[in-house]
Amino acid sequence: MEEESLGREVGLPADQVRGSLQRLRSKHLALVEEEHETIPRLTPKGESALARGLPERRFLDALRQHGGSLTPDEVTAAGLDDEERSAAIGILRRRGFLAEGPPFRLKADARTSEGFLPEETVLKQVSEEGADADPAIVDALERRGLVRRDHRSIKRWSVSEEGRRLPLAPEGEELLGSLTPEILRSGSWRGRTFRPYDVRAAVPYLTGARPNPYMAWLEEFEEVLIGLGFEQAEGPLLETEFWNNDALFMPQDHPARSIHDALSVEGVEGKPPAPDLLARVAAVHEGRPLPGMGAPLGPGWPGSYDPRVAVRPVLRSQTTAVSARYLAAKPRPPFRMFSIDRNFRREALDARHHLEFHQCEGIIGEEGLDLRHLVGVFTTLADAIGLHEMKIRPSYFPFTEPSIEGYVRHPRLGWMEVFPGGVLRPEVLGPLGVEVPVLAWGIGVMRLAMVALGCNDIRELFQDDLAALTGGSP
Amino acid sequence: MPRTVLDTERLLSLAGRPLSASALDDLLFASKAEVEGHDGTALTVSVTPDRLDLLSEGGLGLYLQGVLRAAHGIPSYRAAPTEDLSAGFEVDRSVEPIRPAIGGAVVRAPKGRSLDAGLLVEAVRFQEILHSTIGRDRRAASLGIYPVDRLEFPVRYSLEPMANVRFVPLDASEEVGAVEFFRDHPMAQTYGPLGRAGDSCLALRDARGTILSLPPVLNGRAAGEARVGDRELLIEATGTRERSVAEAVGLLLVAFVAQGWSISPVPVSRPDGSRSDGTPLVHGHSVDLPSSVLRGLGGESLSAAVVERRLAEARLGGHPQPGGWKVDAPPWRPDIMTAVDVGEDVLLAEGVRPEDGLLPPSRTRGRLRRETLFRRHFASTLLGLGLAAPHTPLLVSESTVARLGGEAPLHLRNPVSGEFAYIRNRLLLSHLDVLAHNTRHGYPQRFGEVAPVVVASPGSDTGGETRYHAGLMVASDTAGFAEAAALVEYLLRTVDVAAVREPTEVPGVTRGRAARARVAGEAVVELGEVAPALLSELGVPVPVAWAEVDLTALWPLVARLDTA
Repeated sequence: MEEESLGREVGLPADQVRGSLQRLRSKHLALVEEEHETIPRLTPKGESALARGLPERRFLDALRQHGGSLTPDEVTAAGLDDEERSAAIGILRRRGFLAEGPPFRLKADARTSEGFLPEETVLKQVSEEGADADPAIVDALERRGLVRRDHRSIKRWSVSEEGRRLPLAPEGEELLGSLTPEILRSGSWRGRTFRPYDVRAAVPYLTGARPNPYMAWLEEFEEVLIGLGFEQAEGPLLETEFWNNDALFMPQDHPARSIHDALSVEGVEGKPPAPDLLARVAAVHEGRPLPGMGAPLGPGWPGSYDPRVAVRPVLRSQTTAVSARYLAAKPRPPFRMFSIDRNFRREALDARHHLEFHQCEGIIGEEGLDLRHLVGVFTTLADAIGLHEMKIRPSYFPFTEPSIEGYVRHPRLGWMEVFPGGVLRPEVLGPLGVEVPVLAWGIGVMRLAMVALGCNDIRELFQDDLAALTGGSP
Repeated sequence: MPRTVLDTERLLSLAGRPLSASALDDLLFASKAEVEGHDGTALTVSVTPDRLDLLSEGGLGLYLQGVLRAAHGIPSYRAAPTEDLSAGFEVDRSVEPIRPAIGGAVVRAPKGRSLDAGLLVEAVRFQEILHSTIGRDRRAASLGIYPVDRLEFPVRYSLEPMANVRFVPLDASEEVGAVEFFRDHPMAQTYGPLGRAGDSCLALRDARGTILSLPPVLNGRAAGEARVGDRELLIEATGTRERSVAEAVGLLLVAFVAQGWSISPVPVSRPDGSRSDGTPLVHGHSVDLPSSVLRGLGGESLSAAVVERRLAEARLGGHPQPGGWKVDAPPWRPDIMTAVDVGEDVLLAEGVRPEDGLLPPSRTRGRLRRETLFRRHFASTLLGLGLAAPHTPLLVSESTVARLGGEAPLHLRNPVSGEFAYIRNRLLLSHLDVLAHNTRHGYPQRFGEVAPVVVASPGSDTGGETRYHAGLMVASDTAGFAEAAALVEYLLRTVDVAAVREPTEVPGVTRGRAARARVAGEAVVELGEVAPALLSELGVPVPVAWAEVDLTALWPLVARLDTA
């Protein structure tokens, strides 16, 4: 139904009808089809030509009145201005009615019946909004300025499928809006109709929370270790140099212990370990026998051991300190321990280095363990994270001997140095009172996580961008 | 790792076999040296800190000869002590307080040969590497190289008044006094303090009184300049420790031994009248390698022939003895300290392959600590409450600490920069940074994190205590104290405890809207509304509610309830 008809039918003003129809359309309850049509209408000049006759008709009439011959003055006298005269002469000549002149004469064979000038018929049809007017002639009349074309759009409205399904309140009943506790309590909803919602309308933007991807990756890695029988251990982030270095047979003047590499802390003082333990560690550093032993475990390091260095607090630089504390507690063999935790080194910050980094420390202590078992642990861990090709090369750590480094081949990044480890030295185990071989490693898990998470900058693992963490603007 | 640039041609001439660049890379992958780059005639290598000998063409050349089986065992280099060196070094008592150790050896070119430019460059470059590594920037040991034909033994090592010392420094042509030298010379400004005591300085003078050097700073030109064509050189080191001195000299010798030079010991006479003939420094040392240790490290019993072959390939000397071997290590292998060090050389020469790996059967039960599970419970509950989970560093910036005010957390003595200068004692510090980093996003913002803090603790053995906190923040039009309190109450309810709130003051939190909450009398929670001045400074346009639960304090309380 067209808007105008609908307006007439419901007795509402056109603007109200139009507004209501648009609202129904936005709620997908009404559909509209739009057609465009062109209507020829007479211009004022065309109206004049219809009333007075077309110039060519008036020229012919004048010819007849003057006996078939006309001079230019007689044409003017007949009421045709210059423009009309030119138009009439041009048309009659093109159609082969006029002989050369002036004076103007009809050709001998020219007919002057009514059908001779079809423009007259079309002009009349246009004035009556007739639909059958010859379009070519309408075009010609338009070019002569006698006719113009008006454009009109026609909207035909209909009820949509959804509109047909819509329950309609009985005549005169008000629809229910929100369902309130009061309505529920009173039961006043019974027999009433709810105002339908536009289920496609926009709603408030909500975000949720999802696990931090890096933390989640670390927890997955922990699961692998737990599955292999490792129990978790923990140690303090602020350590003494004793546990961070001395107990691990790191020489007290080792460059990695210098103020350029380790982060030391102001205003606090550590305490020495138990005197017996301190004495045993000092003995191996100085190449002296442990109490009760006839020969030293080795020549120790150049220089004397300074117990004042041992109590200096530093931010832990390696999770191996956790291993030292764990071993000092004399776990009963067999034992397997892991610790994935933060460490700190005095690094300049860039895409590959951060002052703060996670390491996965692991030790296994059991009679009969050797280097092959360490390699076995490395290949198992690498397999668990989807890296199946490995090669081994020698390495060095002050607290392990032999020391090795496991490289794994990543499909995109090539060979990566990932698994450093070794067999703890007698100079580490002896003072701590451990009597079984202990395999130890400290994996740079941040690097593995960067690869797994497709991250190119280590700083991205310290993620605090809430948009990234919620999957959209918070 | 220590690194240097070697002369590829000189190295390969020592290897004893032609080698392509890739073959060299592969061979060194199995060593403690690593190729970092080839550049025409230059080869950049790095080594593990225990194998400094591989940072010289000589040391690396000897290694390659071994693995290519072009030579084996310790090369022959020992020359008998000679009469002309018998006077050796004389050490004056005056050096004892500052730099008492000295040692050295004389190296002699093989017949018909002399010092060439390549070996001179190698020796000087390697000397500098040894200064910065084993010499601990010349403090523990510093080396000098002198032409023997331009000096006369004995060489006296003493502390002399600077006013009495005049010499032509190695890099100069004019004689200067020690006073001016220590005042003006750039080397003296760096290393001078190691070789001075008041108005005196350390000096090495030969029997004619010629200054060899002012250790550990610089040689003199007259008797301290080794030149191409020299046939006999004195390698000397002074330092604070005998062992560092011996190791430094021993390592430098490898450059000469690899070229066929022989080594003679130089005796040292001490102020107490004792005298050493200098041979331990030249002869190296021996270590027992019990076969049980080797089997314990590698897991397999290697035949005696295999062990001896691997020792020889590692350029060590091995002699069978009951229960194992006596292994000789040359003076350039100070890393060989005990049986496990020799065992490593044998095993690595044998090769360690991934396919040899054995996963030991597990006879233990894997698990997380109960306290870790407790923390994880809070982390997942925060997530369940819809709080995003940032991961923030323990170290916080100077500006963050200054912004919050109150009692400062622990400060690093040697921070790299102001950005990471303090150790947070509250997650609040880090979480204010999170707010500041996210002002470009819309609100509401809700996040929480379970993470460590460190607080000073005089009773702790490290001077500080690592504690774990669960911190949360809600930034929204309606955020306020009540929301923070409600969240905390819920968190605590999940572990079946309730807290009693009491007013308190927290830096950065609006006065009158901050609370402390106690569980069983222990303070375990702080919460409140972040002060508007702070929000304004951070550019946060909405109110922010904050809470922080001290899980380390809460855990024993909950565990006690568990047990009960």
